[in-house]
Amino acid sequence: MSKAVAAQPTSTLSRLWHKWRFHINILLLLVPLGFMPKYFADASLFRGDSGLGERDIGTVQVGPWSLQLAELRNEAPRPDGPAGYMKSFNAALCDTCIDQVKAAYLRIGKPRSLRAAGVIFFGTPYRMGATLPIPERTKADAELWITLEGWDGSMHQAAIPLSQASPATIAWLAQRGAK
Amino acid sequence: MHPRLFKTPALAAALIALIGVCSQAQAHNPMCECKAIEDGQIRCTGGFSDGSGAPGVTLDVIGYDETILVPGKLGADSTLTFKRPDSEFYVLFDAGPGHIVEIDQADIEAP
Amino acid sequence: MSKKSRSKLWFLVHSWLTLPIWFFVLIVCVTGTLAVVSQEIVWLATPEARATQPSDDAPLLTYEQVLSAIHKAEPALAVQSISRPDESHFALVASVVYPDGRSPSLYISPYTGVIQGESPSFDFKAFTRALHGWWLVPFTNGYSWGWYLVSFLGLPLLGSLITGLVVYKKFWKGFFKPNLRFKHGARIFWGDFHRLCGIWSIWFIAVISITGLWFLIQAFMFDNQISISTAGNPPVVARQDVPIMPDGKPAPQISLDQAVKIAADNIPGLEASFVSLPSNAYGHIEVGGPGWYPLLFQTADINPYNGAIEGSRMIADRSGLELVTESMRPLHTGDFGGLWVKLIWFFFGLILSMMVLSGLLIWTKRTALATANALKRSEKPRRAVAVTAHSQQPEEANV
Repeated sequence: MSKAVAAQPTSTLSRLWHKWRFHINILLLLVPLGFMPKYFADASLFRGDSGLGERDIGTVQVGPWSLQLAELRNEAPRPDGPAGYMKSFNAALCDTCIDQVKAAYLRIGKPRSLRAAGVIFFGTPYRMGATLPIPERTKADAELWITLEGWDGSMHQAAIPLSQASPATIAWLAQRGAK
Repeated sequence: MHPRLFKTPALAAALIALIGVCSQAQAHNPMCECKAIEDGQIRCTGGFSDGSGAPGVTLDVIGYDETILVPGKLGADSTLTFKRPDSEFYVLFDAGPGHIVEIDQADIEAP
Repeated sequence: MSKKSRSKLWFLVHSWLTLPIWFFVLIVCVTGTLAVVSQEIVWLATPEARATQPSDDAPLLTYEQVLSAIHKAEPALAVQSISRPDESHFALVASVVYPDGRSPSLYISPYTGVIQGESPSFDFKAFTRALHGWWLVPFTNGYSWGWYLVSFLGLPLLGSLITGLVVYKKFWKGFFKPNLRFKHGARIFWGDFHRLCGIWSIWFIAVISITGLWFLIQAFMFDNQISISTAGNPPVVARQDVPIMPDGKPAPQISLDQAVKIAADNIPGLEASFVSLPSNAYGHIEVGGPGWYPLLFQTADINPYNGAIEGSRMIADRSGLELVTESMRPLHTGDFGGLWVKLIWFFFGLILSMMVLSGLLIWTKRTALATANALKRSEKPRRAVAVTAHSQQPEEANV
């Protein structure tokens, strides 16, 4: 073993290795240090200390009710394996409608029915989240539809342009379309 | 707030404890894929993004006029095969309110 | 290959397995050791996280009583879950959301229901676990590469154990004749220390490395959509089961105590150590806790409108493979038998950290020795070439 190494003591690679091998530790240690600000920003985001989401969309009036909407992250949709690309939104119901709204849903494009209203929000009326699949063929002028279902059986809908709901998603779609 | 759909609640609890703010990566989103096969048949396969199947989940073929053309449930292999309806339709994988995947006829791949 | 050179090779492998990344390995060991007792450290540092029994016979409040107490103190608060840590000196932990959207955990007295305090925004427990578990690398697409990086260490750890036992001839004799020589210099002491700790940690290193490797496999499986789950489809309350209310107010739900009772009556052996409230109108009340097999949790999903059990996950529901794989995490963290198990894991975690250090010390002592020899010999120019070769491979010096 020692002979094999000793036979080529001048090899550049082996000299570099001998000189720098313990510096791998420093590189590895820089990883958590570098990600620490991101870690604490995420912890604060998920704890609700830094608002509803990374980017506020504003208040959307849905029939007699309204809700505040935010992008959880101000960034392009994230892949979730075979389920495709997903985009998370957070919402908070208006104070007066908390007791009246049974469920809230999100969908790209107008829902065909309540049953097909899209993905449902989880959480509490003060802070709830939904993870919406974004089909890759979504058009740049697509609309984000919000469906609110009331305890009395009523249903109200509203739409906002996707470009308003998530500019990052529109940019991502344009980039993918260009490819 | 954990707006996620987990196949195993106990595992989810453990993951949330373990992963904390990063639990999003372990979400199991419902998914469904439909393909045209031979003889004018269509086969749909449902499941969750962690790779597990969805046997027994409702899968309805619904006309554009909202009439249910083929009411069905996925088989033990998480698939359902049906004859392509003559009228316009969409497929709805329905694991419960808000746990749906909708596939329009235009998005069903030819064989 | 001769017997001698083969054992030299094993020794070389043992020395070099983690050497270039020794500091990384050390930090992972130390943070893991801290993570084992992170809940206890929080308990020590945060008086609000403790539970004090007001009198010897003060009974524990039920979940519904705790919920009422929270709502009485803070009517606007939304409660998501209440959990009862498995030791009585911990306060209850309620995950809540304030009207302004902040969602901390609250420490609640299990005897009076008083809100004792709010979890700080720096979550020590979550931080040490994140640092140890995935090196703080964010999860953006499946498992983070930090997770892979850390769990991959299971391989050199297991390799160290195996090669260490091969190199340490007749190691079992060390159990009966512990040998720790103080008076023969640091090099001999650390060598003895390394071997003594090693043999008493065989079981622990095996457990940590194998469970660590499982985390690697788990991530690989998840990222490649390979599922071994027999859990079935996630339960969702059917639309027709949620009443329509002509007055427009939320439909009445069963109480948490009713849910716990339904679960306990129908599922023998289910002990409720946490209750999760429905996460929307189509969600279930989830009641869960450990069963007869302390490593795994059992859960039941109860329809909040009609009290039907619409999903349950018991020990017996798991496949043999799931029993093994789901046991991996508690085995890794030592979180299955209360404080004493945690303290044993903590102790051996410290020992393992010390082994990384002592291994390094032995290596550097040997390097120093070899370098000194090299300098001595270099005074004789004729042998210079041989010296160079030796100083580059100092770890080959005899054990």
